[in-house]
Amino acid sequence: MIPIENFLVLSGLLFAIGLFGVLSRRSAILILMSVELMLAGVAINFITFASYRDTEAFSGLVFALFVITVAAAEVGLALGIVLRLFRERRTANVDEASSLKW
Amino acid sequence: MFDRLPLPSQFDRTIISGGTVLALGATPVLVVLAALLVVDRISAPEFVFFLAASVLLAGAAGVVLMKNIVHAALCLVVTLLGVAAIYLLLLTEFLALVQVLVYGGGVVILLLFGLMMTNAQDDPVVTDGSQKPFAFGVAALIAGVFIALVLDAHWGSPEASIVPFRDFGARLFRDFSLPVVIVAVLLDIAFTGAFVNARRAEADSAARGEARS
Repeated sequence: MIPIENFLVLSGLLFAIGLFGVLSRRSAILILMSVELMLAGVAINFITFASYRDTEAFSGLVFALFVITVAAAEVGLALGIVLRLFRERRTANVDEASSLKW
Repeated sequence: MFDRLPLPSQFDRTIISGGTVLALGATPVLVVLAALLVVDRISAPEFVFFLAASVLLAGAAGVVLMKNIVHAALCLVVTLLGVAAIYLLLLTEFLALVQVLVYGGGVVILLLFGLMMTNAQDDPVVTDGSQKPFAFGVAALIAGVFIALVLDAHWGSPEASIVPFRDFGARLFRDFSLPVVIVAVLLDIAFTGAFVNARRAEADSAARGEARS
């Protein structure tokens, strides 16, 4: 069988790659994609512990299902906001959406 | 060399060159993994795991590094399918199914739609530069700490076990019935909000257009 460390290291790497994307990208949509990567990493971590360590209760599986659902809601809502921003400012660059920074 | 091929457009040329790069990158990984499998250093499930993991990580790197954002979105599809393969290796076939349906079907389409809407006129190439070293430092720090801690811990040798569909459904809808309802309400509110937001923007711009003309 596959050792549990493999999955944990993979989830950590995926989370770190997503974090790199969130910090380095400027387009709002690309930041959303990187957030999806981070959420996928977290979900892999949840499921790993659920199926290796918590085989009677498997709460991690339910949690991962909720993560997927909330991520779908987040993408829908955030895309609405990004489209609105684009219509107002003709840009999806988060550095230019700085009305609070007067 | 691509000029000799009967290809009509730049797009096809991109596909060919991208496929060549992919093949050149994937061949060494496959060869090394197959060699390890033959000399019995890794078992067959581990072989599949490393294959899926390398596809997944390559796709993730593509998402955060590609200059063309449509290519980045396509890399995201590859990554999410790789995540579904990892779920299968964790013996949770239901979540793999949900992953392919929700992400491959819904989220990626939404994201591509957003890309097309926000980059209709512009060149779809984004420039992001100055934060890169800082971002790399933070990501490397977090990955390093996490991986060091994971490898340092004593896990014993636990085995993955299959969760039966029936038990999973019972757990979800009996023990977690209130969170399921809350998530349903959350989805409802989120999509109603997104719809209202987009509609009002449309009405606003229409009104402004009338005022201007």
